[in-house]
Amino acid sequence: MAAPEVHHLFHNPIADHSFSADRKTLAIARDTAVELYSRVGNAFKLKDELKGHDKIVTSVDIAPHSGRIVSCSQDRNALVWEPSPTGYKPTLVLLRINRAATFVRWSPSETKFAVGSGDRVIAVCYFEEENDWWVSKHLKKPIRSTITTVAWHPNSVLLAAGSTDAHARVFSSFIKGVDARPDPGVWGERLPFNTVCGEYLNNSAGWVHSVSFSPSGDALAFAAHDSSITVVYPSGPDQPPKAIISINTQLLPFMSLIWNGEAEIIAAGYDCEAFRFKGGPDGWQLSGTLEAKGRPGLAGNREESALNMFKQMDLKGKVNKDDTQRNTIHQNTITMLRPYEASGGAVTKFSSTGVDGRIVIWNA
Amino acid sequence: MSTLRPYRNAVRASLTAALCLSNFASQVAERHNVPEVEAKTSPELLLNNLVVARNKDERVLIEPSINSVRVSIKVKQADEIEDILVHKFSRFLSQRAESFLILRRKPIQDYDISFLITNTHTEQLLTNKLVDFILAFMEDVDKEISEMKLFVNSRARSVAETFLVQPEAKLGAITDRERGKARFAGVEG
Amino acid sequence: MSIIQQHTAASLSDAWRTIDIDALVEDSSVNFDTSTLHPPQPETSEAEVRQINGQVRQLLRGGDAEGALRGALETPVYNGPDAAKDAHLHTVIEVLQSIKASDMTPMLQRIYATPGGSECLDVLMKYLYKGMAATTTASGSGDSSAPRTPTSGVRGGMTPQQTGFSQVGARAGASSDSTGAAMSVLLSWHEKVVDVAGMGCIGRCMTDWRKV
Repeated sequence: MAAPEVHHLFHNPIADHSFSADRKTLAIARDTAVELYSRVGNAFKLKDELKGHDKIVTSVDIAPHSGRIVSCSQDRNALVWEPSPTGYKPTLVLLRINRAATFVRWSPSETKFAVGSGDRVIAVCYFEEENDWWVSKHLKKPIRSTITTVAWHPNSVLLAAGSTDAHARVFSSFIKGVDARPDPGVWGERLPFNTVCGEYLNNSAGWVHSVSFSPSGDALAFAAHDSSITVVYPSGPDQPPKAIISINTQLLPFMSLIWNGEAEIIAAGYDCEAFRFKGGPDGWQLSGTLEAKGRPGLAGNREESALNMFKQMDLKGKVNKDDTQRNTIHQNTITMLRPYEASGGAVTKFSSTGVDGRIVIWNA
Repeated sequence: MSTLRPYRNAVRASLTAALCLSNFASQVAERHNVPEVEAKTSPELLLNNLVVARNKDERVLIEPSINSVRVSIKVKQADEIEDILVHKFSRFLSQRAESFLILRRKPIQDYDISFLITNTHTEQLLTNKLVDFILAFMEDVDKEISEMKLFVNSRARSVAETFLVQPEAKLGAITDRERGKARFAGVEG
Repeated sequence: MSIIQQHTAASLSDAWRTIDIDALVEDSSVNFDTSTLHPPQPETSEAEVRQINGQVRQLLRGGDAEGALRGALETPVYNGPDAAKDAHLHTVIEVLQSIKASDMTPMLQRIYATPGGSECLDVLMKYLYKGMAATTTASGSGDSSAPRTPTSGVRGGMTPQQTGFSQVGARAGASSDSTGAAMSVLLSWHEKVVDVAGMGCIGRCMTDWRKV
């Protein structure tokens, strides 16, 4: 297995990142701006800076086909950046929210995007031709706290959302005139706007940090602050789910998770490394870390010679173990995982960014 | 059986688990980002408090929330001298809180010293080093207090010595005079 | 009519300034209903707890410490009167104190490996923190409703009138010694539970609204 590709961009937290479809452009949410990097050989070079927000940018997403970038920020706004020959042109979105916008994702159809917010609503935004303006419709009930994360179903109608009220929910975001009527599936048959197709709570009730539909869209996984991962297999409209499998791990909480096929989940978070889970409707299990343990550079540091130890004790009066460096590639919390390269329904490479300002491209 | 090691381990583990913070904008005040553990405006954003205690005089209270953690330490105070010393010491530190980054200006009730760690601290500093700092701090305070106490005690002893020597000397002078008087009387007699 | 004449005694005093108006807005985040954060729990009465505790003690007397521990941890009192919760805490601590230090880790590992074992250790962790919090708040400060552990029977704030100059009596008094002994049991269990169930276990103690 080839070693992961590590790029240390800067010493600030990266709130979110997104690659363009050709993987040549990388958008990074850094502080109050979105930075665009382009790949030059083996490195990423800063190409452009999209400045339009005046508070921390919380999330950014590039639509793979149209190349439009959407960003949202704690200043309550979302901007759509339209690519043009002279650079990116921002358009303000009519979100109608009064608190921070926390998370944004394009729907797979790219005609809509969803913005999670601290106003206890999700704004589902779509383009209104006659006004030449991005407008929004609110998913409100029964959200009781800040939305931390959203994820789209492949049919672009169903939307999963995680919230600090410890619930993961599945909503319908069907908008007449924008969406084609979806085929009935396991989540429901008729899906008018704001239908709640599912609402899930863990026994130990942590804030939900990440949600994700499986590639088929027939299962939902979410990661919560109680260090758990929960996978839900619905059985049909108005029926209790076939299975809800919750794995309470021994680790610190996970901030982000992605599916790799239907039988594997990769999750990462406060432990600063990525972990692999394997399973199916009959049960899930933590199968191990993706970090290659005992990398040569660090192993040497661990075993100090006795002479060195006494020298340290003599000089500084204490045993000085070099623990300013973590044993993992990321040196601080990983906040976002995204598929980077996929083939035949399986993710072959994925990227991760974190609070330490690094972006790492891993082999799944 | 020494409880220091398990105590420190328990504090370390509890702190590490509590320091899982994220950047979280207030859902009460728009365009604000405040430590939720101080604001206490949304019950769901606060987690259960943890207390790690070594005995009834030494304990640590950890109040976690989504973007901040408040850590309060109760330092051992076995007698009144330690009581005064701890009070003076924590006051001294609190007045210089800005140079300690995470120190809170005012300890919360029933505790001697409080720290407020927010997500900006965990972003800029290494979490394990923050935990180390607090543990080292706990150790140092104990050491400092017992050292100061020894110092106060030895000072008290030397004060007492000088104070008690004088009357003895005076007493000597009096007896001398008395003796002189007696001698005088003898001469006279 | 001027506005001033409409003043009443209530509006003239400044008591209204301290009213928390957020609490009056039903939709305000202060009024978040935390009972939505856990599934409804069956209520346990004091009598039921006494019965469970009796069974646990019987197992303990019979030498089956592991069975006693499991039994106590599988029936946590999430919803019940304070007295019932305290009685159960009392029992859990009694079981913990009767287990030898060398048996702790193997026993925890066995429990963790069984189905539902992870949940059991989460419950154990909750009782450990509760035990530590209870002993310290019993010394007169903080939450007065907090229970006391059996060993913290001796109370008293400052040991009376120690001058501090005397080196002999400077160590904390007897009450502190007995709580210290109880704490040392809880602390060494804490260490072992973290070894087996990891950081996630502490995390779940913090997030879980099912409180013991």
